[in-house]
Amino acid sequence: MGDRFKDIKEFKKEFITVDFFYNQCKSRFKLQKISNKKIDPKKVITEKNLHRPGLALAGYVDLFTHTRVQIFGNTELNYLKYLNKKDRITTLKRFFSFEVPCIIVTNSNKPPAELLKLADEKNISVFCTPFLTTMFVNYIGDFLDDQFAEQVVIHGSFVDVYGVGLLFCGKSGIGKSEIALDLVERGHRLVADDIVLISKKVESVLMGSGTSLVKHFMEIRGLGIIDIKQIFGIRSIRYQKRVEVIVELEDWDRNKSYDRTGLDSNTTNILGVELEIINLPIFPGKNITVIAEVIALNYLCKHYGYNAAKVFEKQLDAKIKSNLKTSKFNNGYSRNTEYFEHDFE
Amino acid sequence: MIEKEVTIINKAGMHTRPASTIVKIAAKYKSDFFISKDDFEVNGKSIIGVMTLAAEQGSKLMLRFEGDDEQDFSKEMVDFFERGFDEL
Repeated sequence: MGDRFKDIKEFKKEFITVDFFYNQCKSRFKLQKISNKKIDPKKVITEKNLHRPGLALAGYVDLFTHTRVQIFGNTELNYLKYLNKKDRITTLKRFFSFEVPCIIVTNSNKPPAELLKLADEKNISVFCTPFLTTMFVNYIGDFLDDQFAEQVVIHGSFVDVYGVGLLFCGKSGIGKSEIALDLVERGHRLVADDIVLISKKVESVLMGSGTSLVKHFMEIRGLGIIDIKQIFGIRSIRYQKRVEVIVELEDWDRNKSYDRTGLDSNTTNILGVELEIINLPIFPGKNITVIAEVIALNYLCKHYGYNAAKVFEKQLDAKIKSNLKTSKFNNGYSRNTEYFEHDFE
Repeated sequence: MIEKEVTIINKAGMHTRPASTIVKIAAKYKSDFFISKDDFEVNGKSIIGVMTLAAEQGSKLMLRFEGDDEQDFSKEMVDFFERGFDEL
């Protein structure tokens, strides 16, 4: 297990404002504001988890996680309808005595007028969505997971090569941008250059993307700043990609030993996710772009069940075994074709 | 390792021109150089990185130097920040 990235600082968002949440989600999840007041710009969401306040409405508020986004599904609304007006007001007043970020009503349900009135008084926005509760909790849960994901910034170039996310790292000036540029020229797609933001998505997936300021701009020493999207067009870029292989570029060091068989793949840890890492020594005359393409294709081969190093190892073992039996007749190399069969092409 | 806190004092902040001078100074030295602002750390030898910080007037940055020539390096760099990128 490598620790190449162990010193990199992790960070995550502390909060998102309810306003930001609404703007991001209104078209994605068909969210509609049904409370009358404007969204309070000071209201924030600090947790990725959601809460269905059934028990809190029923009166049990000991463990009421009121700082979470509150989801009112059929159960909650039917319960409120089932209460008489007086009890309903008492129940809702108790609910609103806690500081909640916002309320979302699912299933296009109409909340009772008292809820909207009290929400307006407390400056809490109420949203409505046509989605079923379970589905909606899934969608919003994923959105909030993403917002509050652990992130790191890595200095490198991130390119989608044949659908494989290759992250090129290495010290400044070693030629990461040049390799990315070369790959783009060969039809691959740039995700980010120089500053790559990596977020942990679920337990074992890392997603990489650029920053909103840099987008697909890139610096090439001697040229300055260029815009890949303008030069190579839409086919040359993408916004996000799963990080699959790290390619660490380094100056050729004759005292260091490099992997020669590919039987043992090295891994490194980023945000608790193990990723394959390839240490690639560079020297004049070595075409890193082609090697990068081969890294991607070889990764795909392995992914689809073919590991060249393992297959070769197996063949060699078999050959050694058969030599053992027939060693008397073994006379050195054997040709790939036993007989040329009048084929002199 | 040397760490120095600096404040951006010129009006325009750390825009393209000072960013380009920063990486030019940094390229002269062998030591690694990182700049951080809030939670965000970038490689100080990359112009895109330096510009990404979009550091405005008044913002505080932490400069980190690591390597054999870190003494001279930090001196020249901190000096450039203290001169307000020669834009005062």
